[in-house]
Amino acid sequence: MGGPGGRRGAHCAALGSWAAVGSSGAPDHEDARREMTSPPETESLGDRAAAALLGYRVGRTEAMSEFVREATPLLWRTVRAQGVAREVADDVVQQTWTALVGHAETISEPKATLKWLLVTARRAAWEAVRKGRADEVRRTELPDDDADASGMLPDPSPGPEAEVLQDERDRLLWGALRELPDRCQELLRLVSLADRPDYRSISAAIGMPIGSIGATRGRCLAKLRAVLTEQGETSWT
Amino acid sequence: MDMTDLDDVPGADEPLGGTDLALLARVAELSERVDPVPEGLVERSCFAMTLAGLESEVMDLMVLEVPAGSVRGDASPLETRTITFTHERLTVMIALSPGNLPGTVRVDGWLAPTGALPIVLRRPDGDLSTTADDDGRFVLEDVPRGLASLLVEQDDVPITTPVIEL
Repeated sequence: MGGPGGRRGAHCAALGSWAAVGSSGAPDHEDARREMTSPPETESLGDRAAAALLGYRVGRTEAMSEFVREATPLLWRTVRAQGVAREVADDVVQQTWTALVGHAETISEPKATLKWLLVTARRAAWEAVRKGRADEVRRTELPDDDADASGMLPDPSPGPEAEVLQDERDRLLWGALRELPDRCQELLRLVSLADRPDYRSISAAIGMPIGSIGATRGRCLAKLRAVLTEQGETSWT
Repeated sequence: MDMTDLDDVPGADEPLGGTDLALLARVAELSERVDPVPEGLVERSCFAMTLAGLESEVMDLMVLEVPAGSVRGDASPLETRTITFTHERLTVMIALSPGNLPGTVRVDGWLAPTGALPIVLRRPDGDLSTTADDDGRFVLEDVPRGLASLLVEQDDVPITTPVIEL
């Protein structure tokens, strides 16, 4: 369950039959075609994002469908890290992908597509949180409605972890992760879903100092290891 | 702990190794278990991208009477669900219940403010159209289950809902 099934694949492929953006006379047409026909440059998610965008511009959407499948978990984690409730986060992720369609022609640097998506998702998430708070204020101003108001708050923590993390080692790791600053937690959750060359653009997208992570372990991961060592957990994997 | 506590973490400049990657893999796995990506989100996103070519304004979804702990993709298909969408110009409430035919859904909808407006239910297989009555009510019977987005023709710019799973 949860894996890419045939029906879903078929549906996502339907993106191809609908998408009609981009003019075939676009100057980067040839670049895109070369990008799409050469053996896929799959060393990083960022490269696949660039190839997907270039293909999409000329009406070839297979790579985009595949990229949506691959990068949706990354957007989900990004949006959830801003404190957006699950139900609303679903829409914010959709909204982010929709925004990519709207900006497909104007993203000047295809290599920056992944970073663009992450930044867009974060901003949309903040906006959703802001709106949620405004709604909450309006709701609590109604005298009859305060009893249930707490049920409408976006849940700040990712969920009932005690129930799903029965294993002691899992709980230690999760606990250590939760001790890190929020942005470190966000960074590690995101890079854990990407490839090594993507670390730089991910860290840039979430406002971590450039160079703090890349070919090196980086401060967040080093800190996580340090916390685990303090707890006496040495068999990390 | 804040970011300044991380200024001098030993080992930060060491190369990323197999142990680090394995640790990150566990972070990914635990994150997915604690806060799973909703089932069908990829498909809803793809369909939303497909529909995005159309000039429209997208409504916000407001959570109302959704079974506790569920996201739309997770909801039991047999339960009656009520979902409300809000927009500055319009609110749409829909109630979903099993249709007469197997695998179908009946959609009862209400618009506020009321108005006899054209309604289009956009699905991957094609559109279904109806018109709200003067009280803002509309019904779509025996809609096949699956992805859908409602579009309400109002003024110059139609208003659409996010993609949901019927």
